Amino acid sequence: MKKVFWFSCAIIACSVMGCKKELLIYEDGFLVPLTADVDPSVPSILVNGSVLHAETYGNPDSSILLVLHGGPGSDYRYLLNCKAFADSGYFVIFYDQRGSGLSQRFPKESYSMDVMVDELTGVINYYRQTPEQKIFVLGHSWGAMLATAYTNEYPDMFSGVILAEPGGFTFQDMLEYVGRTRSVGLLSEVMSDVLYPDQFITGNVDEHAILDYRYALLSVANDGEDSPIGNEGLSPFWRSGAVINIALFEYGDKYGFDWTTNLSSYPNKILFVYSERNTAYGQAYAEHVSSPYNEVQLVQINNAGHDMISFPSGWNAFFPIAINYLNTLN
Amino acid sequence: MNIGNKILMIVLLLSFQGKQLYSQSINWHADSSQQKHMLNVNVGLDYGLVYGVGYGYKLSTDFPIVLMGSVSLPAGENMLDDYKVKLGGSADVFQIGDVHASVNLNGVFRVYNSDYVRLINFGSDFSASIGYYKQKWMVSGEFGFDKAIVTHIKNGPSYLEIYPLAQDGWYEPATGGNFYYGLQTGISLKQSDIYLKAGKVIAQDFKTTPMFPFYAQLGYNFKFN
Repeated sequence: MKKVFWFSCAIIACSVMGCKKELLIYEDGFLVPLTADVDPSVPSILVNGSVLHAETYGNPDSSILLVLHGGPGSDYRYLLNCKAFADSGYFVIFYDQRGSGLSQRFPKESYSMDVMVDELTGVINYYRQTPEQKIFVLGHSWGAMLATAYTNEYPDMFSGVILAEPGGFTFQDMLEYVGRTRSVGLLSEVMSDVLYPDQFITGNVDEHAILDYRYALLSVANDGEDSPIGNEGLSPFWRSGAVINIALFEYGDKYGFDWTTNLSSYPNKILFVYSERNTAYGQAYAEHVSSPYNEVQLVQINNAGHDMISFPSGWNAFFPIAINYLNTLN
Repeated sequence: MNIGNKILMIVLLLSFQGKQLYSQSINWHADSSQQKHMLNVNVGLDYGLVYGVGYGYKLSTDFPIVLMGSVSLPAGENMLDDYKVKLGGSADVFQIGDVHASVNLNGVFRVYNSDYVRLINFGSDFSASIGYYKQKWMVSGEFGFDKAIVTHIKNGPSYLEIYPLAQDGWYEPATGGNFYYGLQTGISLKQSDIYLKAGKVIAQDFKTTPMFPFYAQLGYNFKFN
């Protein structure tokens, strides 16, 4: 008992001396940054009642290149290489979708595909100077899915479409792809990295700061060495959007989706890129996913993983192909 | 209550409380009155695939109390970067015929490390079980609550690149909590018990779930004098 007592004292001493400050886990700012609706220093626009973190580069009168980030729930920080398109004469628009990145958070039940599509229309209307101003879209992963959902509904909106590894345009395709990306072994370190924190940090469905931080910790898995998606390292982001991620997956599970029904109405060629190192994707799946479009320029980006636009090897291969594609349609 | 007091309370709980913590299943009806010691090995699903060992000591009290300690490690290339230690015990508090009800109280100390963060947590794990216990076998249901009372978060360089203003320190209020419920069954042979338990995990708001919302454990107890 004496040993137990002294051991206890040692633990107390170490623990208390280690205490620097008391911090509230549910408050924004301690573990995750403030969102644009509460931090006026974050550049933002107001669209459909939502304060969206947004930035633009280039001449506002030039043809628009709208950049859509992945997730749902990621943000555009990892796509900032696309600023380079402004130097080639495009007006580049970045925005964090609602509930994502530094944009405003909403209750889980408020998210739906209709809301996301309407938000995209709102962003276009916010920036478009004239009806003649051309609009191109570049979507990565979930962003490419959103771009296709939009194109399926409004096939005349975009003058060109660049899609980088969309999960799928039907719910079944998306489910199977996501399953392949998570095919890591139960014995692997990445599996422990993903699952183990659930006993340390849990949050109620409206506690965005907690849930976003917990979701951010999952990025270790997406970008780890064991991951099939083949990224070079950790992709940068500002703040994960856990609730919108859960909400849109549940929305898809409940209602399903098929965004291929009207893609044949899209009149132009699209550029569809996939990465060499993402073993969950590959040429066969890229051909399958892109097939509902009439005309597809399908390109493998070598020496790159899923976040091919983020890292130098992928970006250096992608940019010349993308700018050439845009210029032929501009 | 400040962090220091919370930690003090937990440590005192671990050190001096009479009827305490447990992590293994015990057959309260097995004939083991002469066997004071118990060694346990187990493998299971507990927020990942985990391996565990434990030790129990049966007190000489009017109703059965077993003091226990256990350590578990999740699988992975770096097995020692994450772990969980439980100290406590289990008490058989109620009996009618072959039906026994028991309570289990554990103090929990757990550590998690990744490229993004190091988490150190003091928590508690309380559960109750009721079931049918024969000398050679048992089956019971359990319901418990695993509370992450206070957690120290140290953000790693990778996360500080993401958010340089992230604050390290002891976070309050309780950073997490999960309920769990399930079934356990086992057989007892002289000095040995083999048991299996499994069930479901749900967060304390009863709406969100862990990434893997199940638990399971296959274990072996060896009892001796």
